[in-house]
Amino acid sequence: MFVMAEEKSGVDLFIPELYDIVWSLIILIIVAVFFYKFFLPKFQSIFDERAAKIEGGMAKAEQAQKEAEEAKKKYQAQLSTARVEASKIRDDARAEASHIIADARSRAETEAAQITANAERSVESQQQKAMVQLKGEVGTIATQLAGKILGSELSSQSVQSDMIDKMLADMEQGAK
Amino acid sequence: MIDGLHMGMTALAASSNFNDYKPSINDFMPPEILFQGTPFAINRIILVRILATIIMLLVLGITAARAKLVPGRWQGAVEWLIDFVRNDIVYQVMGEVRGKRYVPMVTTVFLTLLVFNLCGEIPGFNIAASATITLPLVFAMWCFCQYWIAGVREKGLGRFLRDELFPKGVPWPVYILLAPIQLLELLIIRPFSLTIRLFANMVSGHLILALCLGATQYFLVAVVNKVLAPFGVLTFAAGMFMYLFEILVACLQAYIFAILTTAYINMSYPEVD
Repeated sequence: MFVMAEEKSGVDLFIPELYDIVWSLIILIIVAVFFYKFFLPKFQSIFDERAAKIEGGMAKAEQAQKEAEEAKKKYQAQLSTARVEASKIRDDARAEASHIIADARSRAETEAAQITANAERSVESQQQKAMVQLKGEVGTIATQLAGKILGSELSSQSVQSDMIDKMLADMEQGAK
Repeated sequence: MIDGLHMGMTALAASSNFNDYKPSINDFMPPEILFQGTPFAINRIILVRILATIIMLLVLGITAARAKLVPGRWQGAVEWLIDFVRNDIVYQVMGEVRGKRYVPMVTTVFLTLLVFNLCGEIPGFNIAASATITLPLVFAMWCFCQYWIAGVREKGLGRFLRDELFPKGVPWPVYILLAPIQLLELLIIRPFSLTIRLFANMVSGHLILALCLGATQYFLVAVVNKVLAPFGVLTFAAGMFMYLFEILVACLQAYIFAILTTAYINMSYPEVD
């Protein structure tokens, strides 16, 4: 055999050596301090931060959704008011248009009535003028006729009928 | 140290005696190589232990220092381990309210023992850093202190002992037998069962693995007469299997140690919360 001079017995395995105890304790303390003071707190802070971030992100997403919904509601409300307004404007326009048409019609009717009245009036005045003229002429003719009757002798039948014919012709002419 | 290694190597290279390829319990009591004879003497196992500690602290320390909000793959794996200890060991046994206080302790125990146990499967180390009686014993004593402190704090020494030594619902004559057993359990059996379970697993694992691989080396390489070479192939296959099996054992023993530590501490608390 080399190096190992003495063969140790199995019982020796279970007898702790002082230096082994020392090194085991030193290492245990170092390792424990490492895990207690650095490793686990560090990872715990990472876990906490991650949880906070995930929760924050979820809250943010929720808020964004809420905002979007609100915006949608607002938009829909605006849209419906706009629609109502548009239909109101359309109704107004329609009403105004019918109003304008009615207005125009009544004005035209008035005008037409006026024109008719004017025409009637002028016809009447012409008729009156004609009557006045006729009256004057009838007088003149009657005077002439009387003069003629008085001036000439009613000697013959032929003269008499001639005179009457002449008078009638005159009357006819006068009437024209 | 160098001399010893050198001699060992030449001896191995030259020897065709199977005994030189056999592991022995001397592997667990290697000679002191530094500070011989002082309380700070270092042998091969302690060297492995110190190196494993430094590597673990460096790796985990850098991981923690660089830990980001959005974890990468490695950080994710480390976080999975932390979560595993917290949720699947501590909180599952004790509940969250009680367990919170013990999460750092159990994490320390589990991760340290996991790394130390796995040293047995790391080439170059070739022996678990927990493969002396002392290291498991120190961890077990920590557990011992914690469950005594918890019991005295939560119930007071008198009630704690009464609850432990004279459990309710047992006819009184049985206490004559039961009380000493319970006391023994509380003082000796718990810490030593923790210690010996872990230590014995590490010892046997190393011995079997080293035996398989030593036999492979002997039958395939060292021996002049290669008649038994097929047997060497067989031992090699067994060695591969044992290697994987020992990885499982290393993880399992760390888990068992951690969960028993938690359970023992939990037993010191009053039954109904």
